[in-house]
Amino acid sequence: MTMKGFSRNFKPLEILTEEQVEAIHRGMLNVLEKTGIRVEHKRALKLFEQNGCPVDYDEMRVRLPPSLVEECLRKAPSSFYIKAREPENGWQIGGNNLYLEPFPGMRTVDLDTWKDRPATQKERDEGLVVIDALDSVHGIGPYTPYFDVEGIPPAMAIPEGIAAAFRKSTKALIGQGHQLDSEIFTMEMAKAVGAEYAMNFNMAPPLTARSDIVEAMFRTVEGGFPVWLTGGVTMGATSPATIAGAEIVNNAQAVFSVVLAQLIRPGTGAVFSHSLSFAQDMRGGVPAYGGIEGVLHLVGANQIWRKYGIPKSAGVPGISSSKAMDFQCGYEKAIGALAAALSGSNVIMLHGGVYGELSWHPVQAILDDDIAGMIGRFIEGIEVDDDTLAIDLINAVGPIPGMYLDKAHTREWWKKEQFIPKAADRLSYPEWFGGGKKIALDYAKDRMEEILATHKPKPLTASQENEIERILEEARAYYKKKGMLE
Amino acid sequence: MDEIIENLKKAVIEYDGEAAASWARKAVEEGIDPIEALDALTVAIKQVGDGYGRGDLWLPDLVGASSAMISATPIIEEKIKATGGKRHKLGTIVIGTVYGDIHNIGKNMVSTLALAGGFEVIDLGVDVAAEKFVDAVRKHEPQILALSSLLTTSAYVQKEIIETLKKANLREKVKIAVGGGAITPEFAKIIGADEYRPTAIAAVDLFKEFVGVK
Repeated sequence: MTMKGFSRNFKPLEILTEEQVEAIHRGMLNVLEKTGIRVEHKRALKLFEQNGCPVDYDEMRVRLPPSLVEECLRKAPSSFYIKAREPENGWQIGGNNLYLEPFPGMRTVDLDTWKDRPATQKERDEGLVVIDALDSVHGIGPYTPYFDVEGIPPAMAIPEGIAAAFRKSTKALIGQGHQLDSEIFTMEMAKAVGAEYAMNFNMAPPLTARSDIVEAMFRTVEGGFPVWLTGGVTMGATSPATIAGAEIVNNAQAVFSVVLAQLIRPGTGAVFSHSLSFAQDMRGGVPAYGGIEGVLHLVGANQIWRKYGIPKSAGVPGISSSKAMDFQCGYEKAIGALAAALSGSNVIMLHGGVYGELSWHPVQAILDDDIAGMIGRFIEGIEVDDDTLAIDLINAVGPIPGMYLDKAHTREWWKKEQFIPKAADRLSYPEWFGGGKKIALDYAKDRMEEILATHKPKPLTASQENEIERILEEARAYYKKKGMLE
Repeated sequence: MDEIIENLKKAVIEYDGEAAASWARKAVEEGIDPIEALDALTVAIKQVGDGYGRGDLWLPDLVGASSAMISATPIIEEKIKATGGKRHKLGTIVIGTVYGDIHNIGKNMVSTLALAGGFEVIDLGVDVAAEKFVDAVRKHEPQILALSSLLTTSAYVQKEIIETLKKANLREKVKIAVGGGAITPEFAKIIGADEYRPTAIAAVDLFKEFVGVK
């Protein structure tokens, strides 16, 4: 049993020629062979050396022969299953499947002033309830929804966040983050509730793998869990300013990650997580979130990774440069999400993210639910058969006064063909003025209240709850011992 | 002599590190007053910094000019040291991104604009441990310590640095400014920093306030 996501029923969008794909691929192989990757982890360097890679221990540099790279790309499965707390919510990732999940934010935002502030634990739990309730949220991504929560010390941010996600939702936990060895506790919690998770492996651009992340990769892959190879470059800052050059740096990092995972355990499930590649904003110094260059980079990467036969996730559509849930936030996210879906992303991180990775709100998640629904409907495409062509019906109805509203065919088909947004205004002018001039944001706020009043996520069993609490205690003791917790 | 000074300025304005280093060596060889040479570099970087402030120039211009200046300054500073001279500066800043965090763009912007503003900047880089900050404060005796972090986990390292400074009896010797994506004004107060600023330009204005320059 698997979570039903969306399916793309037509050819993916391609914006590169075969020659261009090949040129970027060859460039990536060249960089991995010539310059390689700085790997700040001795055991990993040894593993590469044992597999025929030239290793410079002083520079902590490994150079990857193209033959090994291509062999490891072949070993990674093109589709695999990730178990959720409830079996029917597990993900079969790959192929034409599209799943959506939230994009996290550090803090919450005030809906009147748009000021960001740490979320309360109640707000975090409410965010998770909304996530659990939304049909277009198929799983839960990293650091979701918040990672700056009042009363939770930074060392416990991830263990407490994972515990809350398991407590408030039965959906699959996908691409979970880690810090300070937190993957030890994430794996334990996942096992305690009969689930799996995929571990976020974040390279540091350009071309660097930090020791903590490599250690986390060893732990999770040896623990039998799949990996989420999260890349991301800032074009003009951590990669060339050109999109083609940025594809090479980002792909070199992610392909290196595939190789490492396959060397640790051949056949390990891996997802190329395009995550966050944006242009550098050359004024303020932060990435240009929501910029169209990031979308181009994503669409190009999707085409290249389809050739590698590895499932693909997109983070670019999850966030905007806008601080408010406004027109800009909407168009930046929607354009990115549609382009991701059209070009074959298997996962899109979308719901709830507002500005950068700094803010999140359940009302935004509800607005994004409509974007997700529209995109899901779009990629299903146009069904063409005798029934949908309806030639007999058209001939039977004929010209005016013929009409279709009273026909059985209409009653049968309209709901299959139409997506009905839940927070969009579709009233007439008189109705709209008479009804208080509500806009999408108002409808989304109403819907949040309704969800919080009515949606009750399925709780953990008593023994699962005990286990989660025991693991949290274990984590607290671990960080106290390390002096990270008072 | 004027030609060398002009070429030093030109090298920075044209983002040419090799030329800047080569004209700096020439200045030393020709016996040009190293203070005057350093002032020329400062004038040039200020010109670029002002252009950035006005919106005519962009981040790559700012960082490019800064790199060019950094190629030339050690050559000239060595000469100043040898001759026992004293450079003109508004003050000294020790800056770095704290331990556990490798984000350097915001920190580099502050560094460059501070340099352009007339400060001596000791940039410790990224992923800098508390002890390293404390050692640098002890060694360089700066008026200002500027700490950057973009991650929530590393934000708390700033607190640790301030605590370590207190233990070493150095806290009162420096003004501490904090910044970065994970930092808020409220957080700055909680950890005992003096001030928080949200942008690089505001940070340099703050540094000037710290040393009593308007």
